[in-house]
Amino acid sequence: MNAPQPSLNYVALKEVQGVMGDDFPLLVEVFFTDSVKLLTAIQSALDEGNTDSLRWAAHSFKGSAGNMSATALAALCHELEGLASSGTIVGGGHLMTQLVDEYERVKSALEDI
Amino acid sequence: MSHTFAMKNPFVVDELRVADGPSVPITKILIADDNNTDRLLLKAILCQQGHEVFVAKDGHEAIEVFREMQPDLVLLDVLMPNVDGFEAAEKIRQLAGEAFIPIIFLTSLQSTDALVRCLDAGGDDFLPKPYNSVVLKAKLDAFIRMGEMHRTMQRQRDLIAIHNERLLREQEIAKRVFDKVAHSGCLNADNIRYLLSPIAIFNGDVALAGVSPAGNLMVLLGDFTGHGLDAAIGAMPLAQTFYSMLEKGFSLQDILREINEKLYDVLPVDVFCCAIVADIDFSNGVMQIWNGGLPDGVLYRSFDGKSIPLTSQHIPFGIRNTAHFDDSVATFEVQPDDRLFLWSDGIQEATNNQSEMFGEERLLKIFEKNTDPEQLFDEVNEAVAEFISDEAVSDDVSIVEVKIVAPIDFHADRPDFIGSNPAGPRDWSLKYELRPQTLSNFDPLPMLLYVLRQVPYLRNFGGQIFTVLTELYTNALEHGVLQLNSSLKNSTAGFDHYYQLREQRLLHLQDGTIGIQLDYKGTGNGGRLKVTIEDSGEGFDYKNLENGLSGDVPYAGRGINLMRSICHSIEYLGSGNVVCASFVWGDS
Amino acid sequence: MSISSSLSTDGQELQINIEGRFDFNVHSSFRRAYEEPGNEVGSYIVDMTAASYLDSSALGMLLLLRDYAGGDSASITIVHCNDDIKKIFAISNFEQLFDIK
Repeated sequence: MNAPQPSLNYVALKEVQGVMGDDFPLLVEVFFTDSVKLLTAIQSALDEGNTDSLRWAAHSFKGSAGNMSATALAALCHELEGLASSGTIVGGGHLMTQLVDEYERVKSALEDI
Repeated sequence: MSHTFAMKNPFVVDELRVADGPSVPITKILIADDNNTDRLLLKAILCQQGHEVFVAKDGHEAIEVFREMQPDLVLLDVLMPNVDGFEAAEKIRQLAGEAFIPIIFLTSLQSTDALVRCLDAGGDDFLPKPYNSVVLKAKLDAFIRMGEMHRTMQRQRDLIAIHNERLLREQEIAKRVFDKVAHSGCLNADNIRYLLSPIAIFNGDVALAGVSPAGNLMVLLGDFTGHGLDAAIGAMPLAQTFYSMLEKGFSLQDILREINEKLYDVLPVDVFCCAIVADIDFSNGVMQIWNGGLPDGVLYRSFDGKSIPLTSQHIPFGIRNTAHFDDSVATFEVQPDDRLFLWSDGIQEATNNQSEMFGEERLLKIFEKNTDPEQLFDEVNEAVAEFISDEAVSDDVSIVEVKIVAPIDFHADRPDFIGSNPAGPRDWSLKYELRPQTLSNFDPLPMLLYVLRQVPYLRNFGGQIFTVLTELYTNALEHGVLQLNSSLKNSTAGFDHYYQLREQRLLHLQDGTIGIQLDYKGTGNGGRLKVTIEDSGEGFDYKNLENGLSGDVPYAGRGINLMRSICHSIEYLGSGNVVCASFVWGDS
Repeated sequence: MSISSSLSTDGQELQINIEGRFDFNVHSSFRRAYEEPGNEVGSYIVDMTAASYLDSSALGMLLLLRDYAGGDSASITIVHCNDDIKKIFAISNFEQLFDIK
């Protein structure tokens, strides 16, 4: 890995904060809860070899990651989604590891706000 | 005196103008996304933009919420468990029906194929993730504006439909009233043929015909400017005036004046009625014509096959008030087998495929080439129909033919001679003296007829009495007061001359009187009526009447024999300037 | 089918020119033409040089003008009528209401 890219696009996130106002912490909480569920779903899908569930979970996570301005996280989800779309889970494990790491970084960044 | 008033139709105009409606209500938006984070954020964005937001977690819930909350706009995530976005969109479209409900797909799908699928599935647009408030606002605003336009158009469309229906109903009612009032009178008499455009009420054509108490036939063909209700409005007072005055024995000129006055009052400034009115006295062989604004009618003369044009001399009815109304008529001598033809301008204006008009020349040619006058009516109609060939345009033709017949051959019911009071006056006398100014301007006969009508017994004899009264009065006026010599009428030139003189002398009358006296006595089952008419003229040598001499006999009309057949007695007194006719009936 | 008009410099006489068919379609423009200059106009000229056709609704419009211009005291001259139009005026005897040349 080269110079670490920022996990959050703070400019875009500012807009989200603007929209949510006092409810921003609530949004973050919901994101955390959702993300745990989705990561679990992705793991299960990989374990079962279920490309359909993998695709759906990766896609969904991609969406919320994007909305939270976690660009790198969203990109990883996108790769995973692409993998599942082509009908294989090969290489999924590796991506999953990166995904979890990135998520941790996003989580800290959000908690610091 | 023309009135202008605004027709208040509270349903149409005002509502159409208020098409923009009251201020736009807050837009109700439904969002469906299985991702909690996304859903929360999107709801916040939309609420901040001022909308009312309903949420659903999957396609199934989306459909349910749509049914219940009836949102104006729907944002659907594509990939959802339990009924995905595409399926939900389909169902929602069905439920929406005719209403304009935009469906926007939310998606982080990026391939073109996927996006095309969205539109194919009935989506109106798509919004990519991550959500961009600015883009979202722009799309929503555009769709909301479209929705408003759509709703406005629907409202206007519905109002127009209602209005049209009402218009049709009104026209039906107008037609029904019109048919009742402007009834055909005696247009169905044997010697009358007519063709009235089937859309007559809507192109303003009216044909009326009736018989006076004296047995005269009066025919009117009218053409109102305007169409539909404009024409119907005018036709009704026209027909009512025509028939009620005719039945009361009023003269042609009195009727013309009254019709004009009524129409002048009722019609708007730019609506008028072109018409020809003909008064035919079969017994005396005299026809009077008034033509205001219609193309030339034709008097076809049987003895030489010539067609005499009856040209328009006057402005149409309803344009000027009574003071400026010209009731002068043209007078013609007619004989049995002569034919009167009247038509509206529908014939001359009938147009063919090359935009040529039928015109007057073609019409006259038909008359020139004709060999059997009985066929003229049909020949004219066939020629016009052939010329037009395109049915859509042909409906505008109205034409009336009256064949002059001997009085015996004229079969039409005279008006019912009904008085209002069943008991009626039983023993009375009425004396009436008319002086020069009155003689010039006033026809006393309708008034006398009105008086006679009050006597129930005269029910059976009314027509005959009126005939005699008319004859005697006419003679007193023309021979006694105006000093016209009826033998003048024996030649065609003399005939015209006679009537011209009559008109002139009447106009400039300075001296002369006519006295009319009616004496009535009713008994149990009968009665006796004595009519005495005295004029200020020189009279005539009545003693020679007994010898059946003609010459200076004042009778222009039916002859003393006919009179004698109606009256119980008829005698001349004084210098012949007094005539006394008695009628007796029942067992008096 | 169109209507044009011109007012004399002293504002006393209005000339209205009819082009094409003088029928119901020109109803509002004909009316505007004589209503716009207002009541100061003393006399009117209706020029039919370019008019091709006239029907009964046109007669009605002329009657409206006559009414607007004072009824019996109105001064309205109708000029340059072709034969067909002259014929229509003749049948309806409108020369009793208008000065027709």
